[in-house]
Amino acid sequence: MVRLEAPPNDQASPAVRALLLPAALMAAATATVVVLAADTARLPLMLYGTAATALVGWCAVGLSRRRRTIGVLHEHYAHRLTVLERRLAAHDEETVRLGKVLMPAAIHRLRQGESPAEVMRAVVDGDERYRELPAAQRSLLRSVLQIVDDEEAMRDSAQRSFVNIARRVQAIVHQQASELREMEEHHGRNPDVFDDLLRIDHGTALIGRLADSIAVLGKARPGRQWSRPVPLFSVLRGAMSRILEYQRVDLHSIAKVAVIGTAVEPLIHACAELLDNATRYSPPQTRVHVTAVEVQTGIAIEIEDGGVSLSEEARARAERMLAQAQAGIDLNDLGETPRLGMAVVGRLCQMYNLQVSLRQSAYGGVRAVLIVPRDVVTTGPAPGVAHGIGAAAGPRGSSVDLPTKDVLRPQNRVPRPVTGPRRSVPLPPVASGTEGDIPVVTEWTENGLPQRRSRGRAPLGSHNLGLRTPGPGPDRTPGPGPAPRGSGQGVAPEPANRPGPGVWLEAFTKAVNGTPQEPPAEAGEGPAGPGERGASDDVRGKGELK
Amino acid sequence: MGDPERLYVITGGPDGAARAPLDLVTMIVARDEPSPTVQPEQAAILRLCRAPLSVAELSAHLTLPFSVVTALLTELLTAELVESRAPVVRAALPDRSLLEAVMHGLQRL
Repeated sequence: MVRLEAPPNDQASPAVRALLLPAALMAAATATVVVLAADTARLPLMLYGTAATALVGWCAVGLSRRRRTIGVLHEHYAHRLTVLERRLAAHDEETVRLGKVLMPAAIHRLRQGESPAEVMRAVVDGDERYRELPAAQRSLLRSVLQIVDDEEAMRDSAQRSFVNIARRVQAIVHQQASELREMEEHHGRNPDVFDDLLRIDHGTALIGRLADSIAVLGKARPGRQWSRPVPLFSVLRGAMSRILEYQRVDLHSIAKVAVIGTAVEPLIHACAELLDNATRYSPPQTRVHVTAVEVQTGIAIEIEDGGVSLSEEARARAERMLAQAQAGIDLNDLGETPRLGMAVVGRLCQMYNLQVSLRQSAYGGVRAVLIVPRDVVTTGPAPGVAHGIGAAAGPRGSSVDLPTKDVLRPQNRVPRPVTGPRRSVPLPPVASGTEGDIPVVTEWTENGLPQRRSRGRAPLGSHNLGLRTPGPGPDRTPGPGPAPRGSGQGVAPEPANRPGPGVWLEAFTKAVNGTPQEPPAEAGEGPAGPGERGASDDVRGKGELK
Repeated sequence: MGDPERLYVITGGPDGAARAPLDLVTMIVARDEPSPTVQPEQAAILRLCRAPLSVAELSAHLTLPFSVVTALLTELLTAELVESRAPVVRAALPDRSLLEAVMHGLQRL
């Protein structure tokens, strides 16, 4: 303030000097007139002159004073103006900071699950830059956080509820699928029924994929879990079985690797969506080609269709959708987009670290490339053997554990709650009405066919049996556990000695017709004594093997 | 349990045209080694059928229903990769001695 008062004093002096000039001129004029005038007029002239000079001087002083006051006021207002402008700028800056820094940080924290009060404490009070946030901004921030929190909670519950519904649909579909598979086995010999069952099965798989899509969009895992690695070929065929026009898909040179259990379902689903896109947006007479090759980063699955090429704009839109989905889908936006597929794929990619890109295909259509990361790929259990269903049925005698799986099969089967022939419920054997009538598969013929024996038989023959050899003889107790084929003497470990398949049938007919053969001597020996029951049992097994 | 692929993917669809007239006891024998282009199930059939094998046995080995196996075999037959042989019929009517032998055998059980 002191400094500010100095300039007016400095400026005043020339002004005062300027104002003193008229007064001095007036005094000089008065003096001149007084000297020149006649004596009689001299006195009044002098009086009037002095008065006028005084008046002029007074006016000059008043003017200069007023002028100084104006100057001071001007300075004052200029100063206030700058102060106010500075404050205005500071306010603007604060608002911008609130909007661009504080609010996003707070909402980010809120999205990570903190409550609004916690966020306020952490973001505003915990940071000395914002500690003196004005009350108005503080309350604004708080109410915004509250609103966002409520919205999130609402969206969450909506999402959870439809994920829940999707889960139920999935459960029903899985149940349906496994029952259909059973029915397919039961009616396998009736082609008409079988074909109809396949059609129903296909429809069910399509429903299942939709349910999976809904679950994925609701940020949940798709469908079921797989406990073991699944060959890539099976994964791709699994994807094929979930689309409408699977017949148009050709699998070429699929890398012989397996996908670890946790990644199987997402991969199937992602491939199914891409295949669905490929078949849906290409002419019905064209084929869709799928290849899978190993690349540096993992496995590249390429899906090429011969449809209309994606225009650059459409491609950009699709990629944008993928990117959006990876960032997190706003379910409200999905309402109008009929192409759920890309959103689902993007979401899966984000969840499971897959990479997808859409390019122009050599066939003129679209080529979708899905990169599966290396860490979910294993070289698989027996990559050389056939894949999928029936993969367990390798060349005869090649795998020892083959029967184990099959032995367990009929026992584990749950009776299905439908009418129809039930193979799974064992009929009581006609001969023995005693305890434990369940026929257990204990032996395997040379050709891998199960040979059933009723449990009641062995005790019947063996209770008074002296001849029974306790050694590694083939008369093993028919335990309920899986008896691996090749554990007895009847099935020799060396495959060279085995008769060819189909030969036993011939041998059987020969034996029945009475054509003499070396060992069946005992078999044709008439009713064996009770002591030889166990032995003859074995012989029968042997005879059948011949 | 189970496999990701459904049976219709293996047969190539429920409308699999006309199936070859195959029986449970029709014997199948491969005429060629499996080429790398055939389906894995068909490759398995070709490997199994190096020596003659009945359709029923194939179905059991592959744990696939009969209809699926016939559909696969139909394709293989048209591609002339396998041959089918009806089981040898000895006579129009079963031999009386055969029936007796079976009867005796059954009684002895």
